[in-house]
Amino acid sequence: MSLAAEAFVSQIAAAEPWPENATLYQPLKEDQILLSDSASSLAVQTFLRMCGLPVLVSCRANAEYMSPSGKVPFIHVGNQVVSELGPIVQFTKAKGHSLSDGLDDVQRAEMKAYMELVNNMLLTAELYIQWCDDHTATEISRPRYSSPYSWPLNHILAYQKQWEVRRKMNAIGWSGKSLEQVYEDVSQCCQALSQRLGTQPYFFSKQPTELDALVFGHLFTILTTQLTNDELAEKVKSYTNLLSFCHRIEQTYFKEHERESQSGSSRHSKGSLP
Amino acid sequence: MAEPVELFCWGGGWDLPSVHTDSLVVLAYVKFSGAKLAVKSIDWTWRTITASVPQLHYEGTTVTEPTQILNFLRKQRFNADFELTAKQGADTMAYIALLEEKLRPTLLHTFWVDAENYANLTRPWFTSHSPFPLNFFVPGRQASLALSRILLTKAESPLLNITEVEGKIYSEAKECLNLLSHRLGNFHFFFGDTPTSLDAFVFGHIAPLFKAPLPSGQLQKHLNQLDNLCQFCNAILKNYFTDPPAEKRMDCSPTANHDPVDANLQKLTQLVNKESNLIEKMDDNLRSSPQHRPHRHETKPLALAGERISTPP
Repeated sequence: MSLAAEAFVSQIAAAEPWPENATLYQPLKEDQILLSDSASSLAVQTFLRMCGLPVLVSCRANAEYMSPSGKVPFIHVGNQVVSELGPIVQFTKAKGHSLSDGLDDVQRAEMKAYMELVNNMLLTAELYIQWCDDHTATEISRPRYSSPYSWPLNHILAYQKQWEVRRKMNAIGWSGKSLEQVYEDVSQCCQALSQRLGTQPYFFSKQPTELDALVFGHLFTILTTQLTNDELAEKVKSYTNLLSFCHRIEQTYFKEHERESQSGSSRHSKGSLP
Repeated sequence: MAEPVELFCWGGGWDLPSVHTDSLVVLAYVKFSGAKLAVKSIDWTWRTITASVPQLHYEGTTVTEPTQILNFLRKQRFNADFELTAKQGADTMAYIALLEEKLRPTLLHTFWVDAENYANLTRPWFTSHSPFPLNFFVPGRQASLALSRILLTKAESPLLNITEVEGKIYSEAKECLNLLSHRLGNFHFFFGDTPTSLDAFVFGHIAPLFKAPLPSGQLQKHLNQLDNLCQFCNAILKNYFTDPPAEKRMDCSPTANHDPVDANLQKLTQLVNKESNLIEKMDDNLRSSPQHRPHRHETKPLALAGERISTPP
């Protein structure tokens, strides 16, 4: 969107309060959604819960195609559709709800830098493991991604998505990396996050911010998703303060939700934290 | 080390030791950490198309990519990050990720995709620094790599069109520069008084933008308004990249060993720079201010009319 259009949309957004029927769309939870999409979706849900804004989660097989940017999750609020955490944070800010108002300039710079670190390392690593590692791609990613569709569309869409992701990895220079190097990068990223968090309850001490939502989304999903091997989860588990951080946020914001959805937890996701 | 370690980089130009961002990052880190390397430029060799620059050769092994090279140098005990705390180390990783995500696509666009800059500055330079017949291929290949990187990482998938992405990446880059400026504040370097790997990365990204004579450079204009980043670049160039005989008064520029920089002289130079920047800025403001010169409206600089983003806070 051009800048003028963005400013216009913000103005419209500011005019109305948050409605009751705001909806978040993501791919099907049981059969279709993959690790990276699930992480992004959980991050957005956590952010909205932290702001105290109600949102209904709706699972659709074609969520990716409905999204304005091609990425999930996206939210449908009033008569606007916004996708991805960054624009959603700006959108809620235009409506008057913000978690990072109390930060000064230097802290805001740090927060943005750490969010980019998570996007750059964790999200890219998740995409790599899902689509560039042949074993995972064949066993998990391709079958799940194309499960709602019948033959031959399922093959075509799965391979198309894989080709797209591999092209992107090539462009940013990750295609030359081996799986061990990717796990090492994840470990370094978690180490950086762990050192930044230290013994504080949240990354910026008193109040949770969008960075906490993003980190929780990714780490929780990594810890509770079953892949072909558990190495990724083990890398995260070795940092105890990150584990307790995830527990804390889960307890604070998701306790009631977990109790309701225990019965609906899928084979793919292990439910709550071990 | 028995054999000398060799580093292959793109050559220098525009007052910089190298015009290539990644090469600059490694060169700056080498100066900061005091490593002894033989720096070889790949200009006018076949490496312009075969090698992925920068490249470090040591006893038969090859290391590429700035982060890998910096890791290698650290293992050889040339460590500029020695005094950082764990949290500062984590901050370094985060800021480097910020640079990669927000600033690099726009730098690639400014130098390789923007038609005016590419045709008038980048392509001639790289063509003149590549051997025949590679000079026909090298710039074009780099440009297409840059374009594909921008489109694949930043463009929304059905709209793989560069014009729609341009506005977004430039505003993100300006925000990134503002964030870096806020973080640097009034300090000489990002973590106190000694430069670290983060300073090397920031320098590598900002210096080409700062020094290159770009015909159309809206990002460059934005950078010039951020005084502390400009002084940061100038300070590093003066202190670490000028040869001692060339500078009569500045006998304090450390070359390969850790000579202490003459702090007073450095401060004086920075104050003078700051003063002259301020005076220039005031002069610009006065010239372009509409209320003071209403009858000179038609001579208002065109750049201001084209500015979509207001000056940073």
